[in-house]
Amino acid sequence: MEQLILAVGECDPANEIICRPENVIELFEFTEPLFSIGPFDFTRTVFLIFLAMIIVLALLYFGLRGKGLVPSKFGVAIESLVVFVRDEIAIGIIGPEGIKYFPWLLSIFLFILIGNAFEVTPLINFPITSRMAIPLGLSLLTWVIFVFVGFKKNGFRYVGDLAWPTAVPLALRPLVGLIEVVSVFILRPITLAVRLFANMVAGHLMLTLLLVSGWVFISSVGEIGIRALIGVPWFVFGLGIYMFEIVVIILQAYIFTLLSAVYVQSSVHPEH
Amino acid sequence: MEEIKGAIALVGYGLAAIGPGIGIGLVVASAISAMARQPEAAGMVRTTMFLGIAFTEALALIGFVLFFIA
Repeated sequence: MEQLILAVGECDPANEIICRPENVIELFEFTEPLFSIGPFDFTRTVFLIFLAMIIVLALLYFGLRGKGLVPSKFGVAIESLVVFVRDEIAIGIIGPEGIKYFPWLLSIFLFILIGNAFEVTPLINFPITSRMAIPLGLSLLTWVIFVFVGFKKNGFRYVGDLAWPTAVPLALRPLVGLIEVVSVFILRPITLAVRLFANMVAGHLMLTLLLVSGWVFISSVGEIGIRALIGVPWFVFGLGIYMFEIVVIILQAYIFTLLSAVYVQSSVHPEH
Repeated sequence: MEEIKGAIALVGYGLAAIGPGIGIGLVVASAISAMARQPEAAGMVRTTMFLGIAFTEALALIGFVLFFIA
């Protein structure tokens, strides 16, 4: 963020009508750690991960602790979220035995939702899921679970049925089997992680560029005069994107959880 | 003729967005007509629509990521 403002500031608005940062890739480089304990570096992202974890735990604890017959309004909201994940995703996709996977699905749904919501939280404005390590870690967890479930339910027939599908003609079996194995074991975790990561990076980048550029133009009204007005439509457009990003945040958390459930379902019932 | 400047990766991302754009349009159009014909199946259709969008959208997002890597 500071690098971006510096890069915009170096450009002279009096000569160039539109300033753009020199190197956007600086946004993705790792910053110096605040402090280190042994091999573990603590950056702002690490603190935000722990903050997201604490928020998820606090939401569930304070939302579901009520002993009374009538829960509070906050309790009703948390409860409807939990029931939505249980009925629509866990049981709705995986089937009756999906209740076993419900705690895991609820955890990743809430963690991704809170992690994404940092994008539009004032004073934080950084989605932790826009660091590749976090979506990749979550999707590798999904990968481990659906491969483990596949082997546990079907034994080695799990890979055998994928690599040698008896439903297609004999001449096509090696080709279809190869495509199936590559798409299930390699492409699934990659696309699952990249989908969340790229959506969050795109949203974060759009918000940063539009709002910071608009603010830089408007705040330099004393130097460049009437041309500072070009910052106003940028700022308004940025606020419009802000509303759109709130929808994307909820949708991406839902889609990540939904696809995890679909992958587990395809391991539980491989014939479908 | 003046020299054209810019990153060729931008053109690549534009090309990568064509297919998923058409694909998402087809998915949503079919979902809308299915929901209009059978409103009682709207919940199931919506879930499947999000799945279809997610699978189709991945191609455009890979193009977006490659733009930064390239």
